[in-house]
Amino acid sequence: MIYREAGQFKTSYAADQAIFPILQDRIAVAIMMVVALVVIPMFGSDYFLEIIMINVLFFSLAAIGLNLLTGYTGQISLGTGGFMAVGAVSSYKMAILFPDLNIILIFLLSGLFAAAVGILFGLPSLRIKGFYLAVATLAAQFFLDWLFLRVDWFTNASTAIEGVPRSLFGVTITGPAATPVAKYYVALGFVLVFALIAKNLVRSQVGRAWMAIRDMDIAAEIIGIRPLRTKLLAFAISSFYCGIAGSLMLFLFYDSAEPDLFDINLSFKVLFMIIIGGLGSILGSFLGAAFIVTIPVILTNAPDLLGLPISSELAKHLEFMIFGALIIFFLIVEPHGLARLWQIAKEKLRQWPFPY
Amino acid sequence: MTTSTRRIGDTLLKLEDISLSFGGVKALTNISFEIKEHEILAIIGPNGAGKSSMLNVINGFYHPQEGRITFRGQVRRQMRPYDAARQGIARTFQNIALFKGMSTLDNIMTGRLLKMKRNFLWQALYWGPALKEELEHRKVVERVIDFLEIQAIRKTPVGRLPYGLQKRVELGRALAAEPDLLLLDEPMAGMNVEEKEDMCRFILDVNDEFGTTIALIEHDMSVVMDISDRVVVLDYGRKIADGPPEEVRRNKDVIDAYLGVSHEEMAAE
Amino acid sequence: MEAVGLDVLTWMVDFLSGLFVDPFFAVARRPDKLVQILIQGVSAGVMYSLIALGFVLIFKASGVFNFAQGIMVVFAGLSVVVLIEAGVPAILAIAGAVVVMIVMAFAIERLVLRPLVNQDGIILFMATIGLAFFLEGFGQIIFGADPKPVPVDALMIPDGKIKVLGGLLGKPVRIYELDLTAAGFGALMVAAIIVFLNRTKIGRALRAVADDNQAALSVGIPLRTIWVLVWSLAGIVAIFAGVMWGAQSQAGFSLAVLALKALPVLILGGFTSVPGAIIGGTIIGVGEKLGEFYWRGVMGDGVEQWLGYVIALIVLLVRPQGLFGEKIIERI
Repeated sequence: MIYREAGQFKTSYAADQAIFPILQDRIAVAIMMVVALVVIPMFGSDYFLEIIMINVLFFSLAAIGLNLLTGYTGQISLGTGGFMAVGAVSSYKMAILFPDLNIILIFLLSGLFAAAVGILFGLPSLRIKGFYLAVATLAAQFFLDWLFLRVDWFTNASTAIEGVPRSLFGVTITGPAATPVAKYYVALGFVLVFALIAKNLVRSQVGRAWMAIRDMDIAAEIIGIRPLRTKLLAFAISSFYCGIAGSLMLFLFYDSAEPDLFDINLSFKVLFMIIIGGLGSILGSFLGAAFIVTIPVILTNAPDLLGLPISSELAKHLEFMIFGALIIFFLIVEPHGLARLWQIAKEKLRQWPFPY
Repeated sequence: MTTSTRRIGDTLLKLEDISLSFGGVKALTNISFEIKEHEILAIIGPNGAGKSSMLNVINGFYHPQEGRITFRGQVRRQMRPYDAARQGIARTFQNIALFKGMSTLDNIMTGRLLKMKRNFLWQALYWGPALKEELEHRKVVERVIDFLEIQAIRKTPVGRLPYGLQKRVELGRALAAEPDLLLLDEPMAGMNVEEKEDMCRFILDVNDEFGTTIALIEHDMSVVMDISDRVVVLDYGRKIADGPPEEVRRNKDVIDAYLGVSHEEMAAE
Repeated sequence: MEAVGLDVLTWMVDFLSGLFVDPFFAVARRPDKLVQILIQGVSAGVMYSLIALGFVLIFKASGVFNFAQGIMVVFAGLSVVVLIEAGVPAILAIAGAVVVMIVMAFAIERLVLRPLVNQDGIILFMATIGLAFFLEGFGQIIFGADPKPVPVDALMIPDGKIKVLGGLLGKPVRIYELDLTAAGFGALMVAAIIVFLNRTKIGRALRAVADDNQAALSVGIPLRTIWVLVWSLAGIVAIFAGVMWGAQSQAGFSLAVLALKALPVLILGGFTSVPGAIIGGTIIGVGEKLGEFYWRGVMGDGVEQWLGYVIALIVLLVRPQGLFGEKIIERI
């Protein structure tokens, strides 16, 4: 009853193509915006903002990036960690080399660097598909891991790269001195803008070309889509998102990190987010990121609350098991992930409480 | 039939001595024929005669080892299928090649791909010229949807549609590209009589209203005889007949090919 | 500006000569080193091949690209080690590990493969990534996270070294008995697998399943039995690989990442070719050891971490089906 679209007629194609064509959705989104922009920063504890919200935000960005490539274009990538590393390292280098450059601009440029690297490692996708391509992207992951660890220039000969303190409009927004609230707003800003852009892309011709390649590449070619160009664009945009996510991860969360933070396990983590959240869904990228970020937090805190103390090591191992089991569970039960479950819930809600 | 109102024009596509083989297996041998503007050409022949290979050659998916293809008076160099699409050749497939994860609307919208000019940066904004373009093309697609009478399944993912409707959506996608030459690979396979009649009507209407040249492969002889202006018959990768339906129907070689017996044997009975 | 340009130019020349010229001088100076590195490469290649064999078996019979093969190797190796540590005689420990791997095969078939039958290969691939994570967490809980030394004495694996070719090359070249054992057993196993696949009824059934599991089902081949069987076999291959890998360093979970090296091996060899796995393994092993040693001057340590993948990538660009795979003809 409450979620009912009957009576809401659309009189133009523009209205029909809106992101949230149904009134109830628009109200819900407005409420969520108020919560995200006002309630959370006002009432959320520092712990909640940092450990949960900022993590969820930059991971959402990475998950959207990977989802554009894997969920929408069907090109599976295990190199996400590497592309995030490109973003983090390049924004660190730029912040050191050009002290006057605006930090927001630095983040955007770091995305472009990642995009360039993404194009380079996307070239094999012309000729190879499926898990062959997955292995090819492993080459990117391991090569980039090695590059940033071994070539001193990238890390300025230190063992770690740092989130250099910078301010915007007089407020410190990066580095250890910045408040969680400031960092949260920066992350939120990036995520809102780029989530909207991603949504726009996938409902435009670019997105349809990507999905065409995913669903049937030969037929896509026959209706005039150039496969290489389309795939490379997906690699570029996906890596752009991952690169910015990597920069945010370093500048807004870790402050200081060794390059091996961006290893293959990070790639898997983001892949898990999109599988659990939903392949080919922007909303799913958020849900997946939130899910994967909160599970370890619950695992480390819940046993204490229940009076069953487990060691942090055991919690880590349990986390692996739970992630693994969840992936298999979702692939079996609902390959479209949490996003699809949400859709089903909405369909039920249309009729609830009078299903007949 | 309203053939009188249509004017069959000059040669649109000319195939000369096309030969195609796969690792020693000959699929097509020395095939030559023409497709004229505004006509409906049927390509028929028993299973394995090379009909689909012929279409694959025309739209650049297979590259013949020998022969020459002339499209609109220009000799064609080796090309990829997307180049053929750019020249105005669209097609449907024997085993439906729709994008199963996408809705009917999105599938047909992909047919407009080559007509849309805004780059991805505009599309990222989904605003101003990009939005205007999107809506303009949506209008065209809606006309195709109305034409094919599939309004009700606009937002349904095509993977969930029944076979007959999928065929129709696939035709819609090809039509949305406003092609000069439309290739249809068994558009009526697996359909019941009613669906076949609908499909025939769509094909004739397309040809009539938009002047689209159509080359189609079909097994149902009554359909072929009804709607085509000219018939090309293939057997074992060779062309055995080419002419108006009535003439082809009486052709001895064609009868042999279909019945699989020689005239001597028939005479002996 | 000119000076900077010159600097860059000299650096480029140095870099390129470091990559493509200097190694040859190095070889001329110390030919024994080259032989030593080739031997190292081959023995590393044998190890990769051992893991790749398990992949190939599973891929051939179920079309599943088993990302968890690496962790299965660790699991198998640790089972043997833990049992021996508990005082079980070596032969029984191995038998125990066989039982563990067969139980695991049954569990995987029931819980992962059966519900996902007829899904896309890529879905199954992602499921095995999930499986790998699950097994890693589970394994660390039951075996402990620390790596364990393999009791080579108890298993009667020789671990001395032999020096050869001293007269010919000026300095002798070392060959480890461990590597020889691994290579010997590896050869034996490959032979056994080839005979099994080509000569036995069940082997042929297995190949039929790989080609088309619907068709195989319809002619009465029991799909589930075949799957359990082949995953068990891959598990047994994993026991051997795990013990040998562990004997070289230690049996621990870090091996799982190393085991991913089997992936470029598979790409080179083609996913379905047993000899391909061996030759691919050798090429990757030798290639990365050569790169590691001769390019250390210009690139620093750790070239071997990625060189194998890059070699595979280059081969893929030229031959998308791998060195031994069949040419893919696309149809529509």
